[in-house]
Amino acid sequence: MPNTASDAPARTAGPRPAGRRGRPPLRRVLLGAAGAAVGLAFVLPLVWVLTNSLRPSADTFRFLSPVGWETFLTLTPVLDNYAALAGTSLGRGILNSLLISAVTVVAGLALCATAAFGLSALRFRGHRAVFAVIVVSFLIPFDAIAIPLADLFRDWNLQNTYTGLILPGLGNGMAIFLLRNFFLAIPEELVEAGRLDGLTWWGVFWRIYLPLSRPALMGAGLMLFLFQWQAYVWPLLMGTDADHVVGPVALAAMQGQFNVDYGLMFAGSVMLILVPLVIILALQKYFVQSVSTAGLK
Amino acid sequence: MSTAPAATGSGGRATAARPRAARYLRPWWRGRTAVALAFLLPSLVALTLLRLLPGASAVWGSLHHTSLLSGEAFVGLANYADLFANADFRNALGVTLLFTLVVNPLQVAVSVGLAVLYTRRRMAGGKVWRALVILPVATPPAVSAVIWSVIFRPEGGLANALLAAVGLPPQGYLTSPDQALASIIVLLSWIGVGYWMLFLIAGINDIPAELYEAAELDGASPLRAFLHVTLPMLRRPLSFVLVAATVSNLLVFAPVQILTGGGPEGSTNLLMFDIYNRAYALGDMGRAQAEVVVLVAVTIVIVAVQFRMLRSED
Repeated sequence: MPNTASDAPARTAGPRPAGRRGRPPLRRVLLGAAGAAVGLAFVLPLVWVLTNSLRPSADTFRFLSPVGWETFLTLTPVLDNYAALAGTSLGRGILNSLLISAVTVVAGLALCATAAFGLSALRFRGHRAVFAVIVVSFLIPFDAIAIPLADLFRDWNLQNTYTGLILPGLGNGMAIFLLRNFFLAIPEELVEAGRLDGLTWWGVFWRIYLPLSRPALMGAGLMLFLFQWQAYVWPLLMGTDADHVVGPVALAAMQGQFNVDYGLMFAGSVMLILVPLVIILALQKYFVQSVSTAGLK
Repeated sequence: MSTAPAATGSGGRATAARPRAARYLRPWWRGRTAVALAFLLPSLVALTLLRLLPGASAVWGSLHHTSLLSGEAFVGLANYADLFANADFRNALGVTLLFTLVVNPLQVAVSVGLAVLYTRRRMAGGKVWRALVILPVATPPAVSAVIWSVIFRPEGGLANALLAAVGLPPQGYLTSPDQALASIIVLLSWIGVGYWMLFLIAGINDIPAELYEAAELDGASPLRAFLHVTLPMLRRPLSFVLVAATVSNLLVFAPVQILTGGGPEGSTNLLMFDIYNRAYALGDMGRAQAEVVVLVAVTIVIVAVQFRMLRSED
């Protein structure tokens, strides 16, 4: 505490770290040009999709020969395609994807966080065996066992139900693993103090562990969300009727039709990209940290 | 018996020090296993039913043959033998191997290059350009497949329009047996490269700046600094990215199912699609289950080997 007063001015007044020597500005510009060229190449398909989602379907391929600025930009954007999403299978699919992903995040976090707590705060005989089960379960890639699982789900009458679509997203060994690693860093003294103050184990979990673990919870929540939002194999096997179709499956079904409404297809694509994009950008920091440490520790 | 006096002793001392420590006298740890299992139970049930059980059922199904006449009969490894004798499966295995050997080194090399490029301090607008590379990461694979199907349209597609603008002849892309697999690699890398780059950028930012300053003082060129500082220091994130990319690329399914159906001429018949095709289009569950077991085994071996390597490096 007494140090902060003397530290702060020293930090601002002191010389800046090395590495500020001048370089020829040409190099800066060339680097910038290389970075810009690559960045624009990556974003070009997205710009094309976005622009065409704001254009009538009849104009999708109008500005391609020759390629000009109008290929990628429009001065007269219309939102008709987005309005037209309402009532279509694709619109319904996007709403279903939102519902399924939201339920998965809430229920999945509850499941994964309690399991991680059981593995980290409570040292008990046999925790190694339980941990082994969890590691094995996340070594088995879900998509690969989707077909045998779909067989089981058919026997259990879960085909074309929200339950059937949501359930596989809940058992996420990777999210447990990630939360457990974070929980292990919480000092044991805090637990002991909490117990001495009369907290139940649930109280320790709810009042000490969860509030301290917000970054890890956000990382795990994003993982649970993306699992469902990007899912394709499982919903294709489990929910293809009109009520339970999800966004990617509805979009892929459109692609196979004889007369494709490209404006609508692009508007749906933009929605399916925009939702995770906003979330990823908001949580980018947590995501990279959580996934990289979970993979390494 | 022997622990009881010790526990009382420490409890007594704690009571003397802090009044509320009286709780220590109660053997609360005795219920620990029960409490822990209660916390773990929902997840253990979920993981058992949703991951282990279907895995076990795939193994079981792969060892049996089901027919309408005789019901289920144990056939040992016959399904595996049939599978490896099957020309379509062998083709799928070859395509998957070729795909794996091209797509993973390609994605990792490009993402390392981009991570190095976008961590250069003196790039004009660097943060903005980097964000543009990351944007496609948000695209679900199925959506990427749909978007690129329009870009790759042989007639009136964006890709051929851009080729025409620089005077090149139109290409067949997904309709050409020579280009279909490469086209799928492009649409997957468009999402993948930015994603893997995120981890490598995080790794590069963790490298102490002093190492580069020392290299500069020694007169090392940027290339030597990359080879002798960046790459060795990036070993861990690089291994993580290589394994994660390998596993995720082994499971590629959506673009094949949506765009090519394994064709043209079986040139994009990756294992995941071959399994799906065998199970549903051909209705051959026993062999499809055997193929699932093969795919899961390959994945687990890759991950396990990598875990070993990471462990031993510590």
